[in-house]
Amino acid sequence: MASIRFDKVQKYFGRGEKRTHALANIDLEIRDREFLAIVGPSGCGKTTCLRLVAGFEAASEGAVSVAGKRVTEPGPDRAVVFQQFALFPWKTARGNIDLGLRNKRMGGEERAKRIADVLKLMNLDSHADAFPHQLSGGMQQRVAIARAYVLDPEVLLMDEPFGALDAQTRVVMQEELVRLARVRPRTVLFITHAVEEAVYLADRVAVMTRRPGTIKEIVDVKSMREAEDWNRFERIEDVMDLDSFVHLRTRIWKSLREEKDS
Amino acid sequence: MAWRRQLVGLSTIITVALAWYLATSVTGFISGGRFPSPVDTWAAFRQISGRGYADGTLLAHALHSLRLVAMGFAVAIATGVPLGLLMGWSRRAEALINPVFLLIRPIPPLAWIPLAILWLGLGDAAKIMVIWFAAFVPAVINSFAGVRAVEPALLEAARMLGTPPWRFITEVLAPSASPMIFTGLRLSLQASWTTLVAAELVGALFGLGRVLNLAQQDIYPGMILVGMLAVAICGWLTTGLLALGEARALAWNQGESRPAS
Amino acid sequence: MESGRIKTGFVMGPKLSRSDALGLGGLGLAGFLGLWGALSFFGIVPVEFLPSPFAVGSRFIDLFAEPFAGFTLPQHLGSSLLRYLYGVLLAACIGIPLGLAMGWFHLLDDIVTPIFNGLRFIAPIAWVPFAALWFGTGIGGPILIIFAGAFPPCLINAYRGARFVEPRLVEAARMLGTNHGRMLTEILLPASVPSIVAGLRVAAGLGWQSLVGAELIVASAGVGFMMVQAQASVQTTTVMAGMVAIGLTGLAIDVALRQGERWLHNRLGLD
Repeated sequence: MASIRFDKVQKYFGRGEKRTHALANIDLEIRDREFLAIVGPSGCGKTTCLRLVAGFEAASEGAVSVAGKRVTEPGPDRAVVFQQFALFPWKTARGNIDLGLRNKRMGGEERAKRIADVLKLMNLDSHADAFPHQLSGGMQQRVAIARAYVLDPEVLLMDEPFGALDAQTRVVMQEELVRLARVRPRTVLFITHAVEEAVYLADRVAVMTRRPGTIKEIVDVKSMREAEDWNRFERIEDVMDLDSFVHLRTRIWKSLREEKDS
Repeated sequence: MAWRRQLVGLSTIITVALAWYLATSVTGFISGGRFPSPVDTWAAFRQISGRGYADGTLLAHALHSLRLVAMGFAVAIATGVPLGLLMGWSRRAEALINPVFLLIRPIPPLAWIPLAILWLGLGDAAKIMVIWFAAFVPAVINSFAGVRAVEPALLEAARMLGTPPWRFITEVLAPSASPMIFTGLRLSLQASWTTLVAAELVGALFGLGRVLNLAQQDIYPGMILVGMLAVAICGWLTTGLLALGEARALAWNQGESRPAS
Repeated sequence: MESGRIKTGFVMGPKLSRSDALGLGGLGLAGFLGLWGALSFFGIVPVEFLPSPFAVGSRFIDLFAEPFAGFTLPQHLGSSLLRYLYGVLLAACIGIPLGLAMGWFHLLDDIVTPIFNGLRFIAPIAWVPFAALWFGTGIGGPILIIFAGAFPPCLINAYRGARFVEPRLVEAARMLGTNHGRMLTEILLPASVPSIVAGLRVAAGLGWQSLVGAELIVASAGVGFMMVQAQASVQTTTVMAGMVAIGLTGLAIDVALRQGERWLHNRLGLD
């Protein structure tokens, strides 16, 4: 069981006079195979939450644990998809995907099989030997997601993964991610500032307050999705037209709006 | 516009060549004792290519100098780049080494020449030593800066993927710093040639600098010009070779095509 | 207190505290000077080839009063600095206006660039024989070599500054009917100042390099000349004292120019 737990987490940055309180008393559990999205005003500490799970930052107080184990350093069991892709420009798509597997000391055959598999899954077959700069933004992000997925991680951490993409590509990638979540469900922590994206993708949406960031409320999307059977639609725009979707979106918008205006 | 630029460039070079000929050979405006005419230069070139000058042919002198530059440059890369990477990689190493580096760095490489001659004599070893010192500094500085300029997200991505230390250095830090490393190597190469020529001018038994030195003593302007041109051509060749290596090593960095999605 | 501290991994690590950095730096320096001193003290390298740091330091001070190769160290430095100043000033006075003009008049750019690119591959120091032939070994010869070293960065940076000036500024000036001369002095020159100053700093460094080289080969006074004379008579201590003098002077020039650059940037509201 790979759940993520935030246990009374406090996070401060800097020292003395310059010390800022980034996260205040975050208490949150992301269940096994659950897709949880965090939305919040910019600078509220959404990304810091993700970086705590990834092991890039340490909590000042409290603890973050994954599958019952306390996080002490980054590792391939918690794969990260970065906003700016963070692909190694000197490695081909295949080389980027391969690195994590090689680090696991996996045999050549097994690696080749896994890579072929994930390339197919992400529709990257024809771009396997291209360098990142030869790929479009959407393709680069596919590679970044493939690099994370191929490790078969317990949890997947996505930091505004589609923030750097143009609107059309973004929609395609969102649909792709929903498809992926159905084929290979994982525990996902997804950071975004786009409410529609959160409602479309997530099982639950956590709304954060302004700094110091706290979890203001958690909105259940999954029960609505199942009750209204959103999954019968292939396309995002059909889902977005549903009254149930609009209702949830507006509710979260209002909650967020109070934060932005105050 | 490109063709116009080339046309103007070409006509400039022709004009300069013509002016050179007119000023030296036809009008005698510049005396042959000050600057050689094209004919003098050609004669000097014939002499050094055939019978030789300063104990060797032009090719032998040039190969000798090239070999020294290659050796000094290679030693500088082999020592400077790893040191720069190490200092970039570890703040402790930086704190330990940087003050010594700062102490030695203000001394221009050419100022080492008398000491090198005292220590190692007029032979090849002294030349290699000063070239090493000259090429070392840019190699270290740029490798260091290259590592420190790595995008933090790439470091985080590598750590997230569980990359072990050695692979981290060879597959993440070094390639990521490589554009800067090559910038450093270009500077190193330039410094190598300057230093070699200076060292050979101060005292040498063989090489292009020796040709220049002897020609100066003999007051032989034609040979001076031939020597200078030979130095320039050697420098140009090695720079081109390095650029070729850079283009190969940084193929991932060269592409301009970025197809729209 | 911080609980659950993350291992910082093996890259760079956190910033060192001031005391740690100073301690390590001191250790490094002590190690370097200690090794040097030990090599010479225990006679591993003969003292006549590697005098101790202390001997070099005291020789450096002695040279202030005691003449070597005709002059005391300050006199040698004085004649070095005079040549250096002439050479760099000459490079700046020709290189900067030419660079600016090349950035504005495309024809001039097309004419000068091929010549310049051809000459650039000739190492400045390779001008030594002609410099000696044309101007002798007094002050003229070395100046030509310093000029050859300092000229390219002056020209290139002025050129880049003028060429890549904000196009809207040029368009605005054109719209106001500015003539060529005024364009150069009132638009391109001020807009290129940061680039030119950066170029001057590079030029100063390269010029100092070239000066040392020139004095080693063609000069009858100056620190480089002093070092060659000392080398000829196997006086390693004096050679090394000369290196110290060259290093310190070069450093002082660089520091002064950096300060000047910073002052200018503040003044112009850059950064």
